[in-house]
Amino acid sequence: MKQVIKYIVFALLIGLSLYNAVYFESLDDHKRGQNKGVFDVKTLAIDFMASKTETLPAINASEFLVNIADDITGYCKNNGKKLGISDNYNFIIEGNATVATIEDENILLVLNDDKEQHIRIATDFIFGNAIRDASAIADIGDFQNTMDFNSISVELNNIVRETVVPLLKQKVEEDDELYFKGAVEVNTKHPDLQHLKVIPLIIKFKK
Amino acid sequence: MTKPTKPFSPQNLILLLLTLFSLFGCNEKKKDASKKIAVVISTLNNPWFVVLGESAAERARELGYEATIFDSQNNTSKEAEHFENLIAAGYSAVLFNPTDSEGSVSNVKRAKRAGVPVFCMDREVNSLDVATSQIISDSFSGCVALGEYFVRQLNKKGKYVELLGLVGDNNTWNRSKGFHSVVDLFPDLKMVSQQSADFDRSKAMEVLESIMQSNPDLNAVFCGNDAMAMGAYQALVAAGKEKDVMVFGFDGADDVMNAIADKKIKATVMQSPKKMARTAAELADEYIKGKRDFSKKTPLAVSLVTQENIKEFGDYDSRN
Repeated sequence: MKQVIKYIVFALLIGLSLYNAVYFESLDDHKRGQNKGVFDVKTLAIDFMASKTETLPAINASEFLVNIADDITGYCKNNGKKLGISDNYNFIIEGNATVATIEDENILLVLNDDKEQHIRIATDFIFGNAIRDASAIADIGDFQNTMDFNSISVELNNIVRETVVPLLKQKVEEDDELYFKGAVEVNTKHPDLQHLKVIPLIIKFKK
Repeated sequence: MTKPTKPFSPQNLILLLLTLFSLFGCNEKKKDASKKIAVVISTLNNPWFVVLGESAAERARELGYEATIFDSQNNTSKEAEHFENLIAAGYSAVLFNPTDSEGSVSNVKRAKRAGVPVFCMDREVNSLDVATSQIISDSFSGCVALGEYFVRQLNKKGKYVELLGLVGDNNTWNRSKGFHSVVDLFPDLKMVSQQSADFDRSKAMEVLESIMQSNPDLNAVFCGNDAMAMGAYQALVAAGKEKDVMVFGFDGADDVMNAIADKKIKATVMQSPKKMARTAAELADEYIKGKRDFSKKTPLAVSLVTQENIKEFGDYDSRN
């Protein structure tokens, strides 16, 4: 009898330790747990493009062009956003314009506020950090690894390349009137104001 | 009745003097220690890092500190030894060029525990809590610009090789990712090989020679630094292909700048080790003088240098 009790107690102890040693969870829950705390750049970029661009403060494109032509360094220092030690300043600008020419890599616009003012909307070679830095979507100081911070630009540019640009290219014709909002980079050391290129965030045709 | 004053016994006088001497002696030592800044560099076997180290030490001396350069010889154990020694020697700050983004974290941590601030230069460590500030080149953006130029030079088609730097260094991957974030969008540009040559000139030469045996029809080589670009160019000269294959580097080193001017190398990305080193030394000075609020990371912009705009630049951005 004593022997039986001994075996039962022994089996209970083994069972208890095994029960505490093994956990079961679904593969989806496990993967979610593993990715907890991992920076999700895609979600950040998608959320930004879907819900933040409309309300993003922007400078009137015509005023912007007048001001940088007048005092590029002073205007950039006071109104532009830059990353660390740099001569590259970034801005979000907006305006109403008419399509003047459809080029290989850009669309040349004439601003409605001043028909003498031109600006280009990029439709190819959508690269760089203009959107990330002009919108201040993230702070480099929050990123342990700078690669994560840089991947924000890659994702934002991908969305523009895959969603904004195809719609624009598909619809655009010369003399079209449109509203645009986008990011532009200006270098104060080697300025090239004749070839400023806006990376488009929003394009609305007025037809 | 006034109390008679006790004459000072010789034993007491000796004790008092000893105490005073030891106290003043300690203060003097502390004062000396507070004037020392250590410059720890990953390797002095590469001229770019020599410029970085010497510029940091020079600026620290200009600011009134005694500065010593330590060479880690691309070895984290050697680097750990330097940190142990400089903490024991009472250095007030470290201007640090890490050997490995992960492997160097423990060394910076040790310095922090000992109350010695560390200012990283050029390379970052994978931690936001240990270094006081990190001044890094914006390698990614530089390679995005280089990538765009690369695509245009090759008319969006061709075969190329990528020579990577040290695989444990974040700069290696920031450069590679910046470049690929552009080039990979052009399907007619085919990367036939991607290999590490550890940022080393002779290794780059050997690696490219071996790659060319199975890929004789290359159009371009993208190298993660200028030392490798020079090694790649040497390999091309040896194979008689230097006129058929475009070479692209990164750093703005003297020999590559000359090679760009002589139309031997297509382009590089100019980093400014002098500006980076001076900024680190100035931040360390501010820390020693009491400032505590530093931005965790400060990227330093870089510039694309090509055969078309070479005249605007000096080596290592020497105009700064």
